[in-house]
Parts: sequence; C-alpha cells; structure tokens
Amino acid sequence: MSLSERDVVIVEGVRTPFAKAGTDLKDIHPADLGKVAFKELLARTDLDPEEIDEVIIGNTGNPSDSVNISRVVALKGGVPLKTSCYTVHRNCASALESISSAYDKIKSGTLDVVVAGGTENMSQLPLLFTKEFQDLFTEFAYAKTLGKRIDALKKIKLKYLKPRISVLEGLTDPFVGINMGQTAEVLAKEFGLSREEQDAFAKESHDKAVAAREKLKEEIIPVFVPPKYKKIVDQDIGPRENQSLEKLRKLRPFFDKKYGTITAGNSCPITDGAAMVLMMSRKKAQQLGYKPLVRVRSYAFAGLEPERMGLGPVYSTPLALKRAGLSMKDIGLIELNEAFAAQVLACEKAFASKKFAQEKLGLQEAVGEIDREKLNVNGGAIALGHPVGATGTRLVLTLMKEMQRRDVEFGLATLCIGGGQGGSVILEREVN
Amino acid sequence: MSVEESIRIVPKGKVAFIELDLIGEKVNKLSTPVMERLKEVIQEVEQSEFQAAVFISRKKNIFIAGADIEEIKSMKEKKDFAQAISKAHKILNAIEDSKIPFIAAIHGACLGGGCELALTCDYRLCSDDKSTKIGLPEVRLGLIPGFGGCVRLPRTVGLMASLDIILAGKSVNPRKAKKIGLVDEVVPQTLLEKRALEFAEELIQKNSGKRQKQWKPRSLMERALTSFPGRLVVFQQAHKKLLKQTKGFYPAPEKALEVIRKTYGMSNREKALLIEMEAFCEVAVTDVSKHLIDVFFMMEAVKKQTGVEDKSVKPRPVTHMAVLGAGTMGGGIAQVAADCGIEVRMKDISNEAIALGLQAARKIWEKQLKRKKINKYEFQQKMNRISGGLDYSGFGNVQVVVEAIVEDMDIKKKVIAETAKHCPEDCIIATNTSSLSVTEMAKAHPRPENFLGMHFFNPVHRMPLVEVIRGEKTGDEAVATIFELAKKMGKTPVVVKDGPGFLVNRLLLPYMGEALFLLEDGMSVEKVDYYYTHKFGMPMGPFRLMDEVGLDVGMKVLKIFKASLGDRIEVSSLAPKIAELDRLGKKNKKGFYLYNDKGREEGVDPSIYKELGLERPTDPLSEKECLERGIFQMINEASLALIEDRIVKTPEEVDLAMIMGTGFPPFRGGLLKYADSLGSSYIAQELDVYASRLGPRFKPLPPLAQMAKTDRKFYEMRSSSKSEKNSTPQPSARV
Repeated sequence: MSLSERDVVIVEGVRTPFAKAGTDLKDIHPADLGKVAFKELLARTDLDPEEIDEVIIGNTGNPSDSVNISRVVALKGGVPLKTSCYTVHRNCASALESISSAYDKIKSGTLDVVVAGGTENMSQLPLLFTKEFQDLFTEFAYAKTLGKRIDALKKIKLKYLKPRISVLEGLTDPFVGINMGQTAEVLAKEFGLSREEQDAFAKESHDKAVAAREKLKEEIIPVFVPPKYKKIVDQDIGPRENQSLEKLRKLRPFFDKKYGTITAGNSCPITDGAAMVLMMSRKKAQQLGYKPLVRVRSYAFAGLEPERMGLGPVYSTPLALKRAGLSMKDIGLIELNEAFAAQVLACEKAFASKKFAQEKLGLQEAVGEIDREKLNVNGGAIALGHPVGATGTRLVLTLMKEMQRRDVEFGLATLCIGGGQGGSVILEREVN
Repeated sequence: MSVEESIRIVPKGKVAFIELDLIGEKVNKLSTPVMERLKEVIQEVEQSEFQAAVFISRKKNIFIAGADIEEIKSMKEKKDFAQAISKAHKILNAIEDSKIPFIAAIHGACLGGGCELALTCDYRLCSDDKSTKIGLPEVRLGLIPGFGGCVRLPRTVGLMASLDIILAGKSVNPRKAKKIGLVDEVVPQTLLEKRALEFAEELIQKNSGKRQKQWKPRSLMERALTSFPGRLVVFQQAHKKLLKQTKGFYPAPEKALEVIRKTYGMSNREKALLIEMEAFCEVAVTDVSKHLIDVFFMMEAVKKQTGVEDKSVKPRPVTHMAVLGAGTMGGGIAQVAADCGIEVRMKDISNEAIALGLQAARKIWEKQLKRKKINKYEFQQKMNRISGGLDYSGFGNVQVVVEAIVEDMDIKKKVIAETAKHCPEDCIIATNTSSLSVTEMAKAHPRPENFLGMHFFNPVHRMPLVEVIRGEKTGDEAVATIFELAKKMGKTPVVVKDGPGFLVNRLLLPYMGEALFLLEDGMSVEKVDYYYTHKFGMPMGPFRLMDEVGLDVGMKVLKIFKASLGDRIEVSSLAPKIAELDRLGKKNKKGFYLYNDKGREEGVDPSIYKELGLERPTDPLSEKECLERGIFQMINEASLALIEDRIVKTPEEVDLAMIMGTGFPPFRGGLLKYADSLGSSYIAQELDVYASRLGPRFKPLPPLAQMAKTDRKFYEMRSSSKSEKNSTPQPSARV
C-alpha cells in the first residue's frame, strides 16, 4: 500500500514485567506502574515531552484516588502541564481502545503525537462495603445526637460486614450474571473441547513464554520496587519453567466443579502490569527522525452474546481485515489474547468454520484458519498474565517486535472482551 | 530616589493606606532617608481626619525586606549606630503611641526591620502566599534586632516562640505566624488589601482600635515556663543550647538572649529599648558582624554574576539532565537536581547501582517529609523526576550530563567520548572529578567547548559550594549554563581554573596532611580536632574530615598531589601505614574515630596509635602551633593559587569557596580575611620558623614572601590581581 503522511505509525513501545497478582508488583499503585513504563518510553525514544499532543491510557480498576489515571500517569511521567490526557475503558480491550482512539485522531489529522497504553494493578482492586453497611454508615455520619448514632450502630448485622470483592464483581457479567470462567465453560461445552486439549494448550503457552524470555526482555523494562528499590523486577512473573501436563491434570475445575474443564491452570491469572506505545503520524515521525516499527492498518470492535464473549475475536477480525483490504491468509503473525485455553480453541474452530461464518457473522466463507505456527509465538496470557487494562497494548507491542524479528508483513492483535465484544488491530511492518 | 513617592498616603475613606514602594529599588528596605519619610507620613496621618491606617507594600512578594545593610556596613562607631537607632525608635514608637490603630497588611518577605515595624502596629494580617515570611534574621549577620524586636516580639508571641525566632535568626510562614499569634489573620493573597480595609473599618466602627498585643500562656506548661522560676530555666537552657551551637564564636545571639532576659516583662518601654540599643551597638562594631556582612555581600554578588566576563552570554535553560554514575556523588547530584524541578536520568552499570541512587535520594526527601518540609505529593513529584537505566536511553533529550564515575582518566575519557555520541550536539558534559585535569579530559570530547568541570562536595545536598572548572577550551556558554544551573540547584558556584585539586581541595590538603605530622609529633587525634573546631571554629577537625572523605581516598589524593605539586607537599610517613590498615573512615565505621551503624561518631579509637606504631600521645604542642601549622600552610598555598596560578581571580572567591566548601568559619570572613587580620609579615615569619624547624613544606611561597616585605594584605591586592574590574553593582541589602 502506498505511503501517506497521515499513516499512523508506532515508533516504539515498552512494558513493565507482568507479575501475577499478589507478587512483586502488588504494592505499586497502577499510576506509578504506568509512570515507570511512560518514563522509560520517553527515555528510549529520547522524545521531548513537549511534542506529545495527548496521552490515552486504558484502565479498568478505576482507582478511586486517580479516576482519570491517564492524567496522573502522564504528569508523574513528566509531560508538560499543557498536554491533554484521558482514560479509556473497554474492559479487557481498554489498552487496545487507547491505541484505536489514537489511530483515529492521528489519521484524521487532529493530532500528531500520542502516547497510548494501559495500566492495571489487579492486586490493588479494593474490597467494597455492602449497600446495607454504606446506608448505615451514612446514617451514622449524619446522626445529630448520640442516641441516633447508637440507633444506627444497633442495626448493623454481621452479614453486612462481608465485603464485596471488586475483582470478582468485575469479572462477572452484569447483564447475564455469569462470570468470565463460566463463559469459557459455555464455549468448552458447545465446541466440545476436552480438558486434555486445553491443558496441552496451556502448557504450550508456558513453554513458549519461557523460551521467549530473552526476546521479551527487549520489550520489558525493569521496575525498581520502592521504598528500598532493592527488589528489581525485570521479567514476567507467571511463566513456569517446568509446567507439566501432570500438574495441570491435578487441578480441579474451578467454575463448574462437576462437569467443567476450566481450571486455574488453563486460564490466565489476574496480574499487575503496564504497557505503553508511542504513536505518530508518518510525517511527524519523519520530521523527528524516527524509524517506526509498524503502521496501524485498521482496527475493529464488534459485539456478541455476553455469555460467549470469548469468541469476540471471530467477530471483530473480519471487520478489521475488510477495513485493511486484507484476508486471513495475508496475516503472518497473530497475538490472540489467552483469557482461557478453551476460549482460544473455540476461536480457532470458529475462525475456520464456514457454518459459523454464515450463521453468526453473515459471511459466505469462513474467516480463515489460524495457523498454530503463527499464533502467540512467545506465549500468551495463560503464562504471561492478563492485567486487564494493559493487555491490549501488550499484544500490539509483542506483535510488532516479533514482526520486525521475523520480517513479517502483516500481523493481527485481537482479544475477547468481557461483556461480549471482540477487538482487533491489524499492523503492517515498516521497512526502514 | 524620590523619598516622597516611595511612601505615600492613599486615602480610602476614613482609612489611610500607607503604600510602601521604594522608587528605584527592587525591594523595600529601611534606610535613614526612608525612616525620615516614614516620620513625615505618620505625622501627616495623625494630623488628618483618618481614623485608622494600613501599611501595605506595592513591591512584588516583599513587604519590607529589612534595614539597609549597606548603611550598616558604612557605620563604624557605636555612636553612629546609637544615633540612627534612637531616631528610629522615636518614629516606630509614634506608630505604637498614635491615637489611631495601625494595621500591617503583610505579603511577601517581612524581615528584620520590616518585622519590627509590623510589631509596632496594633494588628497584623498576612497573605497565605508561599513568599510570605516573617522573621528576625539579624543574628545571621552578627547583629541583634535593633528596632525594638527583642522587646516587642517576646511581648507579642511569648518567650519560647520569640527565642526560637530571634536566637536562630529564623522566619516563620503564615501558618506558623498565626499559630504563635504573630499575625491576627491569614488572608488569601488576592483578598489581602480588601480584607485589610474591611478590618480597619470594623475597628473604626467598634471604636476599639488601639491595643498592645500581650501574649497569654495557653497551657499549664506555658504558664509554668513563664513564671519567674520557669523563665530562669528557659534562659539557662537557651544559653546552654546556644553555646553548644556557637562554641562561643558568635556573640550576637548571646547578646540577644541577654537583652530579652533583661527586658522581658519590663513595663518601662524606653528603658527596655535603651538596653536593646546598647547591646546592638556593642555587637554591631564587632569583627564578627563585619565579617558576616562581608560574606553576605559576597553571596549576594554571586547571585548577580553569570560566571563569565562577557555579559551578552546567556545561560541555556536546563530542564532535562543526565548523571553518569549513581553512586554517592552521582545519586546526590541527581537528588539535588530533581529537587529543583529538573528531570534526571541516571546511568550506571548495574540495576543495583541505580537502586542505590534512588534509595539515597528517597532517604533525603523522606526526612523532609517527616519534618513536614514537604508534603507527600511534593515528595512523590520529586521522586518521580529521577529514573535510571543501563544504556544511554534518554540522553538524546538532555541539555546537561554530569559525569560522576570512577576517578580514572582513561575510563572517564572513554565514557565521555561515548556519551557525546548519544547526546544532542549542544549538550554540555560536566565532570564531577575532584582530582583529575579537566583540560586533559576534554580531549575526549569532540566539542570541547561544551565540556567543563562541575565539582560538588560530599554530601551533595548539604554542601553549598560548586566549583565550576573552566578547561582551556571550555566555552563561555557552557560556563554560564553550569554556573546558572548550580545556582538553580541552590548552590554557590565559584569559577576556577583547571589545576591539581582546583581550589578547595588544593587548600584543604595541607590542612589534612599536616594533621598527620602533628600525630607523629605526639599530638592526640581528639586534641587536634578540638583545637580546630572549638578554638578556631572549623566545623570538623582534620582527622574527622579525613574519616568523612575516606582514608583510602585521602591517602590516594595525597599521593597524586605530591606527584603534581612537588616539594611543597610533604607526606607524613604515617600515610602509607594508614593506607594499609583496614580503616576507610566513616564508610566502614572505622577510621581515626569509630562510628555506629547509623554513622554517628562514637569517639576516637584509642588503638589507632598502636596500629600506627606511635607512643601514647602526650599532646606536647601548643594550641597556637597546632593551628598555625595547618592554617598558615593553607594561606601559603592560597597565595600561590590566587596570585601566581590565578585559579580564581579575587580573594573574595577564595574566601567564599572556603566558607561554602569546607565550612571555614564565616565569622572570620574567610581564609584570606583571616590572613589579612594577622598580616602577611607575621604569617611569613612564623612559616619561616616552622620551615627551619620542621621542613621545607612551610617555606613561604614567592607571592607570600613578596607580600610580607611590605606587609601587604590580600584584599589590598585586588586591583593588581584582577585582570578586569568587577563591575558588579553593589547588591541591595537588608536585615
């Protein structure tokens, strides 16, 4: 495709290590995690922060002390006060939404330089009070006399004190009332996916991630853990060196204890991490002397049944391909987020199915087969983890680095989105 | 200057606004003509229909900065001071005695005489702005508050709070001022004028304007401490604390304490003010005060200098900076830079080293956070400005790189050449070397005009001096930029020429080197250090200083200097022995002194003598000899550095550098001021005697010998020792 000044290119990207929730990054506020990645992106690109038009950051936890977390990340990261910053939320695709938003603004000529990314600290998702307790708390606070206060206190029942766990509520679909694991169970059963198949896929994810440690280092920046800074986290905490089928087999199904096949071992763990990319118009990148890695060709989001949200990529990808004027066989590398092994396997089947295409997507032909050799070649979220608000950018980052390494022309980054959506971005390698 | 326009009455109905706006000056300050004009204004207000008056300033962020120090400096005798002060008292008393109420509406600096004027008012309001500071800094110049501050502040805010302010020369922020009762209201800055008028109108309406604020104890404790026996304890404790801090070298705070003791609670105002005046005259004519004022002017002069002769050269703005090496010095430099708002990138060879740099910076700010000097948001913002890495990431966007890696010429050269490749073309690279040649190092830089030395002292966040070292090829713009950067970092820069040890370390060398000879001669570590600290006024004796520097470093530097400076450096035979011991000084908690885990000194290690093969010390030498042998060698070396080697251009620069870089006692005015007070003949003569007895290291060097012939002073040589006239205008000064 011919080059245009308004082509949207990605100059560089970095991410923090992804660390399983409750481990080494648990005490770092998501704004600070984002800041680390943000500052490092600026440093690696030697970018004068004055050049940044806008900062768009994905986040789902929405920490109550930093509700527009993008602004917090950016100011901590050293942008000038004039710079516009906002936060986007599209659940699991929040950090893909930040990239697609940046794409639109740059493509249209509105902006030239955008830092897009995402940050999430799932370890820090809070426990919430029950509605009953909140009401009593308010009553107590507004009570004018001691008697009224005592009245309020007397109404407290033990069950009111049971906290609401926001991470669990967040992972439960509020429309149909089942949680994400259960949506994967739906797919496993409908597509007839065996426990063995799923476990084998999970093991492969770990094996690939472990083998790719050196490669992944290129996109990972070390995090110095305050206050002592003695602990330096410089690789993902998730991939297991010695994951085995035996071990995976021993795990009990978590969501459907009796007939289920989804276990903690073949699902992605909840995780802490942040990722950032620097996006520009081609013209601006040329002016500043950068050699971009990829150009964004197209993106698409599409919706489906919330209880089958895992199939989201099958819905969004054909749209993105169509917008790019490409077909599945043009794609040389795929990053498809591994929320659950079952969900990825179901996607594979649906991508290849003409019937599915006709019944569900209104297409004549199948979207196209996914070649396992091209899929998640450096492991996926089952090993690396899935910090919900940061994953989208991580997929794009890992994909564009690998496209350069393998000299692949087109790549697809796609994920399923809680609530029943899919998101896809198609990248084209830049030849410098 | 038109004095009439400088203080004017602006009528606002029944209220007179007395606007202070000294024509032709940046700040308001109280001088004799200003006081005369004030007298007229007060009379005029008195004789008119006004029912209240408000003092307000029209200067930016200044109420009244103080008395005119220029004028104080020009006065020589007690009677000059007495005359000026008694006149001022009459004028200020007139405010207090006026039939109408006076209100001070304070925004910005309200210091010294300004604070004392405010204290004569019936009420004080102040703005909530950061620039608003109210205090009495007189003792810092060897003076005491002389316009009634010693009398009126204790009456207004009580004994404890006033001692706190007066004895330490402190100022308080609006919050504290309200808390101690120094001001009646803290008002948002933009509303100050409106509120002052409203306040005055309320007073008029209530017809209850006049008052003399009397401090009242608010707790049992305060009541106990202000009772007669309680007061005795307070004064005694304050005196003890003072002596510990001043070691008796600074008479002013003691005098202030005495005045407060004598006048506290005294009902006869005139008598109290007289006591204060007499005490003021006594301290004002001391050398200590003269010297402190000189030092003040030197520092003010630096504020106006640019580090280069060509005034058209402008410093480049520095917003992003990199530091090579995150060790003690590199980490310290990063902290100070980030503290003043610069984004700093550290580079080192391991993540662990970067972590140490981050940790060191955090510790400093954590302390400030604990002491509430900064809040947690400021803390985070400062911390956010420092990041680090192992490669040259981020160097493409910096204006300045400071190199603080290992002291090795070859390694430094290699790193500088490499760094220059990763920086923008016009980026300035500065080395923090303490002992290597800047000119030599510059050879590694492809654009040597952008290379120079920026020598900080350890610990960076506390030592105020920065030597800006100009190599042979260093450009003016680089010097001006680094000079300005040092100032921005809150440091006092002095431009020096390249040469072994530059200025300060070169002069400190005999100080430390001679201490080893004294040890050889049977002196004890504690005695020598005691003489230097308690008898001469150095902040640290030579042994304690060597521990601080690190004995390994010290001995190494001694060797380097011996090689480059030749015969006039003699090294004690103890030096190689010390280098072999497992004593590194404070860093391994074992040097001449022992240190606990927190780095606190725990006394001299008595086993040091035996380890060095020395007899038990008998302290055979006199205080005079111990001090002269060290100090006179410094003076001797300084004569060569200044007059012959032209390391710096003026004796002021030597003195400023020594005070800021080594803590040389400011009350002595600096090394060369001190030398001048003794006379060059005497010093040369003594040196000759020591030389014949102890060795050639004492031999007066040619410039000093030359001076001694006519007993010339360093400060008399100014015109001949300067290539150009220092055209810096005299700074505006105040107390």
